[in-house]
Amino acid sequence: MANLKIAKPPETQLAPGTFRLTRRDLVKATGVGVSGCMLASVAGAAASQTTPSASPAYPELRIAQVNDLKVDAPVQFNYPDDSSPAILIRLSKGGAPGGVGPNNSIVGFSQLCTHKGCPVQYKAERKLLICPCHWSSFDPSKSGQMVIGQASQALPQIRLRVTGNSVFAIGVDGLIFGRHTNML
Amino acid sequence: MERTPLPPNDAQRFNTVCQFCIVGCGYQVYKWPLARSGGPHPSDNAFGLDFRKAQPAFGTWVAPINHRVVTDKDGSRHHVVILPDQACRVNDGMASVRGAGLASTLYAPDQPTRVRLSTPLLHQGQALAPAKWEDAVELGARVIKAVLDRWGADAVGMKFFDHGGGGGGFENNWAVGRFFFTGIGTRTASIHNRPAYNSEVHAAGDAGVAALTNSYLDAQLADTLFIVGANPYETQSNYFLAHMVPNLQGGTLETKRASFPGEPVEAARIIIVDPRKTMTVSTSIAAAGADRVLHLQIEPGSDIALLNAIARVAVHKRWHDVGFIRERTETQTYEAYLRSSLGVDRPIDEFLKEAARTTGLTVAQIEKAASWIASPKAGGARRRTLLHYEKGLIWGLKNYENIAAIVDLGLLTGNVGKPGTGISRLGGHQEGYVRPPYPGGRPALNVDEALRRGEVKCFWIGGCNPVLTTSRAAAFEKNLKERGAIVNQALRATANAPIEQRVTAVVEALKQGGMFILGQDIYLTESMKHAHVVLPAAQWGETNLTSINGERRLRLYPKFMDAPGDAIADWAILARFAKKLRTLYLADKNPLMANRFMDFDWRTDEDVFIHARYTFKGDGNDGIEGYAGVTYELLRKLGNNGIQTPVRVIAGTPVGTVRMHEDGRFSTPSGKARFIPSPQPWPGYAAAVTAQRKKYRFWINNGRSNHIWQTSYHHRHIPFYNDRFPIPYIEMNAQDAKSLGIQSGDMVEVHNDVGTVQAMAYVTDAVKKGHTFMLFGQPRGAAGDLISDHVDPSTTIPYYKGVWADIKRIGPMPETARNSSLAPTNIAE
Repeated sequence: MANLKIAKPPETQLAPGTFRLTRRDLVKATGVGVSGCMLASVAGAAASQTTPSASPAYPELRIAQVNDLKVDAPVQFNYPDDSSPAILIRLSKGGAPGGVGPNNSIVGFSQLCTHKGCPVQYKAERKLLICPCHWSSFDPSKSGQMVIGQASQALPQIRLRVTGNSVFAIGVDGLIFGRHTNML
Repeated sequence: MERTPLPPNDAQRFNTVCQFCIVGCGYQVYKWPLARSGGPHPSDNAFGLDFRKAQPAFGTWVAPINHRVVTDKDGSRHHVVILPDQACRVNDGMASVRGAGLASTLYAPDQPTRVRLSTPLLHQGQALAPAKWEDAVELGARVIKAVLDRWGADAVGMKFFDHGGGGGGFENNWAVGRFFFTGIGTRTASIHNRPAYNSEVHAAGDAGVAALTNSYLDAQLADTLFIVGANPYETQSNYFLAHMVPNLQGGTLETKRASFPGEPVEAARIIIVDPRKTMTVSTSIAAAGADRVLHLQIEPGSDIALLNAIARVAVHKRWHDVGFIRERTETQTYEAYLRSSLGVDRPIDEFLKEAARTTGLTVAQIEKAASWIASPKAGGARRRTLLHYEKGLIWGLKNYENIAAIVDLGLLTGNVGKPGTGISRLGGHQEGYVRPPYPGGRPALNVDEALRRGEVKCFWIGGCNPVLTTSRAAAFEKNLKERGAIVNQALRATANAPIEQRVTAVVEALKQGGMFILGQDIYLTESMKHAHVVLPAAQWGETNLTSINGERRLRLYPKFMDAPGDAIADWAILARFAKKLRTLYLADKNPLMANRFMDFDWRTDEDVFIHARYTFKGDGNDGIEGYAGVTYELLRKLGNNGIQTPVRVIAGTPVGTVRMHEDGRFSTPSGKARFIPSPQPWPGYAAAVTAQRKKYRFWINNGRSNHIWQTSYHHRHIPFYNDRFPIPYIEMNAQDAKSLGIQSGDMVEVHNDVGTVQAMAYVTDAVKKGHTFMLFGQPRGAAGDLISDHVDPSTTIPYYKGVWADIKRIGPMPETARNSSLAPTNIAE
């Protein structure tokens, strides 16, 4: 288990002159409610159904050292807060979407199954994240796509960055189970 | 950052039932104006929950796919959130992969579902163009009348849904039946998934046994679950997960002890008869342990041999229910069954060896199955077995004998009409059937054939997509296209002419071999594209409808939003045509025909529901089906637990039926069940099938996936579902794939003497050597193109599962499939 401390992003991380738009500002400006749907593949989706990626920003968290990660040996961590277990895996095959590090083989996902929130387990011999509750399975080499099961969303993927020998969690793509927004 | 809205305290709430599979899970719809969402504080949202904290496992969660912003006809915009109902005893607050996405199927002008049909379309000779309702009805009704008058009722053909749930229900079914059967009077009628008008389970009816005999509770109470030709994890998901799995895990012992005092009880065993090792098999093993799961991977079409062999063992060991057979069944049918189906005059060893050979199983496996189904429990109590079947039998080798064999086994072992037992089809879609009697006979006439012979002059397709789903699908579509084109010319030539002239031109075209095609649907599907008149229908949530699920649970599925544009309920479409036909016949001074189209003056959905109610033995207490005393008001009060049909009024109160045949009576003149003997223990393959088997190397089994509903009419527009399987797949055994140089992801061509189809290969251990499995009815590769038109002559049901073909690699994985996982879909641990 990596030694974890959740750090708030310092104000100086924002580029000078960046206009910080709050959610309230957006509602006032456009007069419509905000709902965050993942609509990347829908052409021409109207503003009323998407949220621009605005602040508050996700925290940055150092979660592991690249050299310590062994293929198919997952590392657990909490991100973006202590109620959100997540799992980091170095896959044997590179080129995974959202992957970082050597051959882009390191990926991270929320551990909470998007069916009913049970913790999924990585099964190395299957190369899948499988939930023990109702057996939904997710493919870590395909952005957490559900292979088969009763969830209706891919497992949220942790956005990662490698700086030097460290792997950082820097964001989440997809809504985590049990939350109306990822940052509570 | 992703965010989903929380319903405020004063959000409108509706109880409803999922539009998709037979299980009919209960859901709650929240609807509130766009600008006024609730907040995370428990006093600020309709759930009363604190969303400032993460919710626990099994807690309430609004996922993006549970939410949509809809626009009603008055321009007002609302949030809609649809979540599974914790209080519904069908699903206990669980959603399946399909039901969870209900909100994503709702119409919205800024979402992929914006392509919904919203106005009538008329073919103007070159293409379909938007039209007014009165013009569409005028042209359509006049052509129908001209065909009726010149060629008779049978020249008007139809292929319509007859199911419940989305796109169906008691109201719409009633209107379809009144229009085509007592209105037009045609026998050229077919049902959405087969070429004729027939029951899929004639043999059960002949035996006097209902199609849906048990309650879902019985899956919690059974000692043994016997599943034949079905994969409930994938396709009746929450019936499996909320009822069967707890039993397999030993979680229903308390309920069993309370229900069967003094009887030994333990966790259930499950027998799965399926040529594939499906997710159902894997999850059963994960739930029950391998020693309580018996997977019988039979050879195609050998079910009857297996079922009769199991029955023969039961009789031999004296495990059959002697009392039940004597008191509740017709003795002479039992004697015939013993002789011809079970071959009791032949030595059992020889009988079982032959069955083993036919099925590809061992005698030991057959004996084990018999023991799990019928051997007495400690203390002599009868073993309670729940027998279920679906398309593996229904679309198997010979529909009639397939169903007869499992019904007979159930009767032999007394497994019907008592808790923890039943003989029931699992079902695919929901039900909600009520119609005047079909005017034709049995076996029903084959409409696909009638179309091929050019006998049908006018053909109406309603809420189904035969271009993707019928057998010899490519030929079917070619027929629609060519005969439709002859009419196109007439329409083009009379584009601006008065209506009478147009109709005359169309009739001339029909005389030249043309066919006038009408269609009604919610999308412009592959089949709709060939119509001359396209009528936009309202869907689930846009109109009130009623249906029943796999345990006959009747509920109201309310209207909670407006249909797009001018789309209206199916019953309302048919009513418009009926009223126009009545007017036309009255103008003709033909009261006989005019009167056939009376009483279509329904003003509301409930009017249709009540009108239909009286057809069940005059709203009396029918033992087979009916909903006496039920109104929409009662259904609103009963919420998502509804009431189970048949409903009878007893001392002024509507009373439902938990279990069929609990009174020991069956639907035959004698009131006793009948065994349906087959001429021999296994009929063998028909000549056409044998010929195909000889010519081609691979058995092409076909069926459904867990994700995709039917022909993907909704799901092809919703990324979560469409992106999972952008190209329909074919499962292949590793050795077979290797021998052909095929890897997972490769494109292959599957071809036989009926047609050719392309698919993407999935190499998996799910299928035995020589066996494959394709997704059925998919828009980018219809298995129907390979399926021959051979049918069971006694029922006119095609052997959809009986396809043989060759396979060859044609290329690498297409770009569009790069993001979809090739991982096996049968892994539970």
